[in-house]
Amino acid sequence: MVNIKQTYTLVDPSTEAIVPEFQGAPRIETVAGAAIGLIDDSKRNADVLLEEIANVLTEKYEVKSISWLKKPSASKPADPKELESLANNSDAIIIAIGD
Amino acid sequence: MDSNQAETKTVQVEFDDPLSAIERIYELGWTDGLPVVPPTDARVDEFLRVVNLPASHIVGEIPERRRSITLDKVASNAVMAGCLPEYFPAVLAATEAILDPKFNLIGPSSSLGGAGILLIFNGPVVSQLGINARNNLFGPGNRANATIGRSVRLILMNACAAIPGLFDRSVIGHPGKYSYCIAEAQTETHWEPLSVQKGFSSDSNTVTAFAGEAPRQIRSVGKPEAILYCIADVASSLGTSLSTSGSVGKSETGIRQGEIVVTIAGHSSLWKDWTKADIQAYLHQNIKKSRAELKTALVLPGEVNPPDHTDYINLIEHPEDIMVVFAGGEEADMSSVIPSWGPKVSSTSTTKSFNI
Repeated sequence: MVNIKQTYTLVDPSTEAIVPEFQGAPRIETVAGAAIGLIDDSKRNADVLLEEIANVLTEKYEVKSISWLKKPSASKPADPKELESLANNSDAIIIAIGD
Repeated sequence: MDSNQAETKTVQVEFDDPLSAIERIYELGWTDGLPVVPPTDARVDEFLRVVNLPASHIVGEIPERRRSITLDKVASNAVMAGCLPEYFPAVLAATEAILDPKFNLIGPSSSLGGAGILLIFNGPVVSQLGINARNNLFGPGNRANATIGRSVRLILMNACAAIPGLFDRSVIGHPGKYSYCIAEAQTETHWEPLSVQKGFSSDSNTVTAFAGEAPRQIRSVGKPEAILYCIADVASSLGTSLSTSGSVGKSETGIRQGEIVVTIAGHSSLWKDWTKADIQAYLHQNIKKSRAELKTALVLPGEVNPPDHTDYINLIEHPEDIMVVFAGGEEADMSSVIPSWGPKVSSTSTTKSFNI
């Protein structure tokens, strides 16, 4: 018995990520004297980690300032306005993802 | 919102028998582990004609994963799930619900605490499509429930990239992630339908999407007060998302709180003296945990002090966060409790209306 193959067209159910081009923030030469922003993703222990980083940055590197932003939920992006304000007032930003 | 540039992406395949067709789709990586119906262009077109929208219509987006979900993707997954064409408006409405920004799909579809996406249907569509609201509520045995619910999971895996082990990081998974779809038996109760509580008219067709844990059966029968007492006890358990901390938003309680679905079965006559609002008020007041127990479980910080034993924290913020659904078999007053996957700030249940 001979099998006769037929050709079918299937509609692909999957998607691909379309990532727009973007430019990363310029790197800073040193954290000494810089304005630093800290983002807490609101998961457990993110604050513990960031508080220690803030202490080190302040005592060892004498940063100019530390600003904090805590997300309401780890599952959601930070508020765009709060993020923009933090970016405008910081030379560098550190994000902690806890758990 | 339509993008006319987008063309439907297709794959040419050769089949010589039904089994090889099914096996070929396993190779393409499009299944949830069970066999699927091949999403041929002809079958997908049948589905698209039911809703009279173009294949390129954008149903929603997941910005965090840089993905747009077009109608052809929704239809292809609904075909694979085994839906009939007439189910497609229900699948489309469910997809719109999970892609609503307030549902925040990125959270429940990726979290370690892995949610099943529960769909609850209301309105004439329930009898028109034969969506089961009674015996064996959560399945198996009914095509509409099985395939509409399965469509959502295939859409999540294929179109939304919620692939187990990749973006879906659920630690223990969830049986409802194969299919999790019920209806309210709203014509068999004096209670206000869930759709009305969500702001729609009682003759609207609606679907409510809810990111939930697994249903916990409540074996309590006979008297409303006793049943509600048991439901409140189960819903107050330690170890649910409601009674944990982290991602608490602006809550001052230190714990997550969240929403909850409660299904109540049996005969509506048992509840003749109770409205849904009465039930919501009772459960809101009684779903709670003492500060002492929350501290013992390390949900809240600090040492347990004597006053903590009588200091209770409500696990539900508002009575309307309790969704009471009349559903399940007529044989007994068996109930179920489904806590939400997370706090409302992370994902809020979403209701959409639709026509068929």
